Amino acid sequence: MRSASEKVVKSVGLIVLVAFVVVFPGIASDPFVLSVGVVIISYAVLATAWNFVGGFTGYISLGHAAYSGLGGYATGLLILRAEVNPWVALLLGGVVVAVLAVPVGIAALRVRGASFVIVSIALVLVLLLVFQSWESVTGGSDGLRVPRPFGPEVLRPEQHQRFFYLHAALLAVMLLCWWAIDRSRFGMGLKGIREDEDKARSLGVPTVRYKLAAFVVSAFFTALGGGLYALWFGFLDPIFQFSILVGSNMVLMSLLGGVRSLFGPLVGAVVVGYATEFFKAQYGDTQMHLVAMGVLLAAVVLFLPDGIIPAVRGLVARLRPKQASIREVTQEELAEEVRR
Amino acid sequence: MSTPGEDGLRTEGLTKSYGGVRAVDDASVTFQHGRINALIGPNGSGKTTFFNCVTGMVKPDAGTVTYHGRDITGRGAHKIAHAGIGRSFQLCRVFPRLTAVENLLVAVRPGSVLRALAPARRKADVERAMELLTRVGIEHLADVEARDLSYGQQKLLELAGVLMADPETILLDEPAGGVNPALIERIGTLVRELNAEGRTFLIVEHNMDVVMSLSDHVVVFDRGRPIAEGPPDTVRADPLVLAAYLGG
Repeated sequence: MRSASEKVVKSVGLIVLVAFVVVFPGIASDPFVLSVGVVIISYAVLATAWNFVGGFTGYISLGHAAYSGLGGYATGLLILRAEVNPWVALLLGGVVVAVLAVPVGIAALRVRGASFVIVSIALVLVLLLVFQSWESVTGGSDGLRVPRPFGPEVLRPEQHQRFFYLHAALLAVMLLCWWAIDRSRFGMGLKGIREDEDKARSLGVPTVRYKLAAFVVSAFFTALGGGLYALWFGFLDPIFQFSILVGSNMVLMSLLGGVRSLFGPLVGAVVVGYATEFFKAQYGDTQMHLVAMGVLLAAVVLFLPDGIIPAVRGLVARLRPKQASIREVTQEELAEEVRR
Repeated sequence: MSTPGEDGLRTEGLTKSYGGVRAVDDASVTFQHGRINALIGPNGSGKTTFFNCVTGMVKPDAGTVTYHGRDITGRGAHKIAHAGIGRSFQLCRVFPRLTAVENLLVAVRPGSVLRALAPARRKADVERAMELLTRVGIEHLADVEARDLSYGQQKLLELAGVLMADPETILLDEPAGGVNPALIERIGTLVRELNAEGRTFLIVEHNMDVVMSLSDHVVVFDRGRPIAEGPPDTVRADPLVLAAYLGG
């Protein structure tokens, strides 16, 4: 059972988080800091989207860049080739990717564990080749220039500001959805799949349908994240859009923060995103920033294997006054059994 | 619930091979409704594979499985669960990082897409889960993660989870394996009570005392097919059974 103090801590944390997101663009010292903020919140969006499938079902997709990339390109191409309103294009892009995710999910979710990881990577590599070669439509390796949704009168710092808030709004919607699924029967079924898929099946959970639903929701949000990024950045290059690195960053951030926690991927994105920029600023002139990043990640894996949020929660629980331990109860019960 | 005595679960020519080994080989068995049936046989005689074929965990290569006359061969495991067949697993399987009560809530059937989005901790569902945890005697551990429970407690939790889906027929794979005598007694009592309430059992078990004291009907498997069946006392004296166990 949740204690009252935990609720207070959670509410305060949430208020601080929201307040920070609201005031950040105002207090950011210059446009560069603001743009870093947009990059980090964009990663928070992608990692949270990834966690709809990774966190709930335990299927680790290293290839989620496929959906962010497709979302970006779908948005850009709809604006350029079909002259759709940019915001409608963004939403349509998400829908297109969600529809594409159905057959992909049916095929990919048949395999578990390491095999699923490999299958998920395969799609990104295929898409990379397609988008590089199909020049007439995608612009090929030269990239695709996506027109900005705001007019020329909106200057760069204000662009950043608006996109920061747009990302924040999308993130809020996703967190709300994740929270709703987390406490639902659907979510309980998904967690059963994560813990022991065959066991869940034997209890009547329609695992194929559940996994696919989570996968499609995840792809939809990932595509929206990719589309929003495309509108902000204004340029798409297949090598960066369909990159294993982008996909592995989503995984890394989620694992770092804690995949079982609502805010895990967000926390992970902030830590990894901030550390990346910090190390680049400090040691950017050499390759040392990569080494520093590696050391940080190794430390987290070694000391916080479940992620940051569970580790903090565990620390709080340890500092709280002791309750009866499980072991004591077990012994009592054993004694009772002997008496019988 | 169906009337006792009628044919419940039935297999006809059920066959499943792994590589060159016929784990289940042309097995035709009928389990009457309302009984506690036991399935015994030497290691590797195909009992667990038989379970897996019946419950849809693996697809049989040939043969049919019918339940109350309805063909359920090769159906998805969740559909077979919905048809009213529940099962436990050899060596016990629970959801390690879910609490005991959550372990049970996984088995709640939403019924529709909309209801799947309803909260999992609905009062009625939690109450039913708590009732079942109380029934198996671990209600004080409701909010403990399953991985922190002892093996015996996990076994009880698994049984409660199976009951949460409210199956009419329950397949138990070695319910007495690896637990202390007091707990074996407790599980045995539970099985008898549940049977008296109209649930049919099919139990794979190596502990002969448990088999003899608990079951109404025993089916003996050897090399993937039934070689004898009948009341426990008759089966125990059957020379074919003795030969199978002694490696004749």
